Amino acid sequence: MSEIGTSIPNVTVRGPEVPRNIQALDPVFNVSGLSVFYGDYAAVRGVDMVIGNREITAMIGPSGCGKSTVLRCFNRMNDLIPGARAAGKITYHGEDLYGDHVDPIEVRRRIGMVFQKPNPFPKSIYDNIAYGPRVNGRKKGMDGIVEEALTKAALWDEVKDKLKQNALSLSGGQQQRLCIARAIAVRPEVILMDEPCSALDPIATTKIEDLMQELSRDYTIVIVTHNMQQAARVSDRTAFFTAEVDDSGVRHGRLVEYDETSRIFTNPSDKRTEDYITGRFG
Amino acid sequence: MASTSKATVPGGPSLGRSRPRYGELIIKVILVLAAAVSVATTIGIVAALLEPTIEFFGTVSVVEFFTSIEWGPLFSPPSFGVLPIVVATLLVTIIAMIVAIPLGLAAAIYLSEYAKPRVRKIIKPVLEVLAGIPTVVFGFFALTFVTPLLRDFLPFTLDYRNALSGGLVVGVMIIPTVASLAEDAMSAVPNSLREGAYALASSRMIVSLRVVLPAALSGIIAAIILAFSRAIGETMIVVIATGGRSIFTMNPAREMDTMASFIARAGSGDVPVGSIEYKTIFAVGALLFIMTFLMNYVSAKVVRRYREAYE
Repeated sequence: MSEIGTSIPNVTVRGPEVPRNIQALDPVFNVSGLSVFYGDYAAVRGVDMVIGNREITAMIGPSGCGKSTVLRCFNRMNDLIPGARAAGKITYHGEDLYGDHVDPIEVRRRIGMVFQKPNPFPKSIYDNIAYGPRVNGRKKGMDGIVEEALTKAALWDEVKDKLKQNALSLSGGQQQRLCIARAIAVRPEVILMDEPCSALDPIATTKIEDLMQELSRDYTIVIVTHNMQQAARVSDRTAFFTAEVDDSGVRHGRLVEYDETSRIFTNPSDKRTEDYITGRFG
Repeated sequence: MASTSKATVPGGPSLGRSRPRYGELIIKVILVLAAAVSVATTIGIVAALLEPTIEFFGTVSVVEFFTSIEWGPLFSPPSFGVLPIVVATLLVTIIAMIVAIPLGLAAAIYLSEYAKPRVRKIIKPVLEVLAGIPTVVFGFFALTFVTPLLRDFLPFTLDYRNALSGGLVVGVMIIPTVASLAEDAMSAVPNSLREGAYALASSRMIVSLRVVLPAALSGIIAAIILAFSRAIGETMIVVIATGGRSIFTMNPAREMDTMASFIARAGSGDVPVGSIEYKTIFAVGALLFIMTFLMNYVSAKVVRRYREAYE
């Protein structure tokens, strides 16, 4: 958060404390030729990317480039928007995510999501965490699940004495960590984050970023962010999207470049990527 | 720009209003009057009820009024035990609520959470038209259609006029009120809560029942209270379909007299002004008013305790 300006940000790609071989991707998602339509309008076109297991993948780009739209395909949240439909193919561990036999509810049990604006339920802190396990049929050991999820989300110490309080009494940053804890409580494999820090102050943002690093030991994380420094700080790979205008004048989103984060921020292969990360874009 | 602008010359005309805005004043007076009419009407009704009611209790003892089970203020000799018509009123109201709450809420959940926007746009106005059907029509529907139907299908005998038929049709009459207002409350629940719930692997029914319904509870209770108030005070349907003979019974198959139907019948007869029969009408009216008021008060407390406020 300290660097502000138009120069290439100080890149602090994740240190070697979590060793991994980025080249040998263990794919969780495999996206090929993905286009997303709202009615007849193709909002995003021709996206190909592979999301690696227990990596943090960042999706960056200007507003309207379709990065959130793509993110919402990974847990089929777009199904809830009337008229939205995905073409192309996304596989999850080799299984077609949009196959006829696939139950979107089961998809969302494996693939959790955290939203831009913290959206805790207007219930107690405890009930917020217990909600997911309960609706998924868990009845016993709820206290343990709640404590574990809150601990993993680095919130336990702050709320352990007020679990019965309304979640809306927490600060914005705490609410967002609560939402992360709520997602964790369902024991997903993947956590999708749609600009999780854009409504938070810098201190709360730092906490969430630290948390993401911590969580990536156990979870695959895909994050959409407007904040390039954030992508540079936390992610292993970065996908740069942009908005283009096609021959008939229709604006749509495109994936421009997808690579290791260190390369995207130091040696991008596409001029548009370079322009964007150096602040020369639009 | 600033150098040529005359408005910013220091020491120019004062910042006071250059000319009075009469229009604003007139509008304000009209708005205050409009608001005052309903308040004044309520006060007026209470005042009008109060005096004859007090006079009534000068003649009839409070104990007799609330404990006797003989109701016949228009008979000779008259009897003033209000319990039979209170029981009848509650019986009809409870039957109506048993019909209206589940059906109304189910309709609201369908419209708010399940129906496609296009379907909702068609169904909601249709539902609201149902709320506009005159109650006298409902009354004859109860008497000439529902009662014969019930007589065909139920294993026990029904009076020609009975509480069951009246209660069921009052319930149908208030379904649109419950459905429409509850749907408004549920639609007002922010989508972010729904998305959060869906992202935690909830089915549509779980989202509706565990997230949307509790968040909309205060609006839903308001809808139910309004429906309850309409049911407890409903007159025309019960006059036509439930009858006027006052019997102290809990059996909904019997003919009975409710508070509202008593007021309607006695008030449209030739009861002399100032007589005890006349004052009885006001006493019953006051009691009905108090019952509705208490219901409102209690449910407001309940809502404050259980609702999940999202703002």
